[in-house]
Amino acid sequence: MLHIADLRASIAGKTILNGLDLDIAAGEVHAIMGPNGAGKSTLANVLAGRDGYSVSGTATFDGVDLLALTPEDRAAAGLFLAFQHPVEIAGVGNMYFLRSAVNVVRAKRGLPELGAMDFLGAAKEHMALLEMDPAFLSRSVNAGFSGGEKKRNEILQMSMLEPRLAILDETDSGLDIDALRVVAQGVERLRSPERSMLIITHHPRLLDDVRPDYVHVLSGGRIVRSGDHRLAAELEADGYAATLAAVPA
Amino acid sequence: MKATDGSVMDFPSTKEEAWRYTPVDEIVARMAAATAAPVPATGTRVTRPVVDALAGDHGGPRLVFVNGVYDADLSDHDNVPPGLWCGLADLSNSRAAANVALAGIDRAVDGFLARNHADGHDSAVVVVDPGVRIDLPVHVVHVSAPDFTGERADSATISHPRTIIDVGSGSRIALIQTYCGRDGRAVTNASTTIRVGRHAEVDHCRVQTESTAATHVGHTRIEQEEGSRLRMISVTIGGDIARNAIDVHLHGPDAQTELVGVNVTTGRQRHDTVVTVDHAASRCASTQRFTGVIDDHGRGSFSGEIIVRPGTVATDAHQSNRNLVLSPNAEADTRPWLQILADDVRCTHGATVGRLDDDALFYLRSRGIPLDEARTMLIGAFIRDVTDAIPHPSLRTHVAAIIAASNGMVATDRMR
Repeated sequence: MLHIADLRASIAGKTILNGLDLDIAAGEVHAIMGPNGAGKSTLANVLAGRDGYSVSGTATFDGVDLLALTPEDRAAAGLFLAFQHPVEIAGVGNMYFLRSAVNVVRAKRGLPELGAMDFLGAAKEHMALLEMDPAFLSRSVNAGFSGGEKKRNEILQMSMLEPRLAILDETDSGLDIDALRVVAQGVERLRSPERSMLIITHHPRLLDDVRPDYVHVLSGGRIVRSGDHRLAAELEADGYAATLAAVPA
Repeated sequence: MKATDGSVMDFPSTKEEAWRYTPVDEIVARMAAATAAPVPATGTRVTRPVVDALAGDHGGPRLVFVNGVYDADLSDHDNVPPGLWCGLADLSNSRAAANVALAGIDRAVDGFLARNHADGHDSAVVVVDPGVRIDLPVHVVHVSAPDFTGERADSATISHPRTIIDVGSGSRIALIQTYCGRDGRAVTNASTTIRVGRHAEVDHCRVQTESTAATHVGHTRIEQEEGSRLRMISVTIGGDIARNAIDVHLHGPDAQTELVGVNVTTGRQRHDTVVTVDHAASRCASTQRFTGVIDDHGRGSFSGEIIVRPGTVATDAHQSNRNLVLSPNAEADTRPWLQILADDVRCTHGATVGRLDDDALFYLRSRGIPLDEARTMLIGAFIRDVTDAIPHPSLRTHVAAIIAASNGMVATDRMR
């Protein structure tokens, strides 16, 4: 589904991704871990199409050149990025925003527009599961939301947009234990044989609830070690430095 | 130019603070080259559906003027409630005696107003008796309709709309003024005078959506008496060169004024907003909240003056001007101008000029929302403070649609 080969990205002359290779098949959940500055968020941003990076290499999504698409076309193709820091947009209503997004994406996928009542019904169902007050729909996008509320709002958007590849950029950061449980359960519910996930995280706790098929360690802009979920436990026990030192030369 | 008192009155100079950003010479040249529309109006092709489309129908009485001439067929006079009189200035009508009372306020203070008074044809007059509450908005519409077919097809059409509004003590009224027009070159030199009586309340919306080839000079003079409240929302979208001057005099104590405005400026438009609030009595409160969205080669300016007269106490005066500049060639000028001549004053002012937030744009696009739509959403959010303040739902929808169309036009221009 996602094929990345020799991906390089730099910003303001500084190389951040330095020849990254990664393949994710349908239904697989991959976790990427790594120390600060390893390039984890840059990978997420480059895949989602944020401006400002100079990028080379290959990234295809079902054979389509992802790097040639606008961010909105990547979303329509089925890519979703849950932001590490969701943006506050005062003055744009959360419901208006989400319904516009859902219907633009549905139209591009050849699906009929979701009417106001159908949309509201689906949104409220997902919000109940995420333990979100329906009042959040009538507020401005993320404006004045707490850290946990913002992350739940990301998972709500992900649930409504039904992506085929979800990238979660430190979705667990800044969450207390209860919020982490709700968010993790929300992610786990979205797991399906057709949907792949790339979970970027610092901490392995999220991976207790959403068990990945593969764990990769990103360092110096490339993947230096891969394993199954036990690698996360090893990192937790030994730390990045020791784990990376053990990498065979 | 002869003023109403017979003295010669010159056009203002750009050396004067209030005219600093206005291309006065260019406007005067356009006025000189323009010709007056014929009376009665002919060949304007302005029909009821045209007025409905350009100005909207907001439920209350509607007075329609085409090129400065009253059009009874396009106006709705049947639903005028008791206690309200609206129509043309006519001194033979006792109701219009208020016009005389207002004369001292509605005076020409510069060459533009002198020409408005000297050359204007019909004046709109709205008089509200004391103690009357009018719920449906009174709508005064000025349509400029350049003549494409007649012998004056190659010159702009000029009109001098004049509106006089007198709101009796303890009364409450909602007003809408629309300056709109058909495509083409027109010059509108407009004057509005509003007297708000003791403890009266006025909700006033001024919407200017003339053609982008039009020239508009507008002056609104508001006189507030004791305990009165006025809220004015002004929307400036049309015109090639458009000036919107608002002049509020707080004459009686305990009066309150809230002025809210937006200019949506694109192409090579120049929009000039000039506000003065004169605190001449004690315990008055005023706020000015003006917003500009400027794209392409547009230029928007705001000058906001606050005067607090000596001897007044407990004055509350606030001013803010926020600008969103969407293109490297767009320009926003903002200038507060405070003359505080008393001690007991609470006064704040602030101005910002910024761009669209790249992070917010990327966030919206990452959810599938196309760039143009994402921009429109963020621009809408920026000016929501103003559009949400419009109390009439039909007018809010009308203005939102025109702003959206104006932004769409910008997007199309950029593609070329």
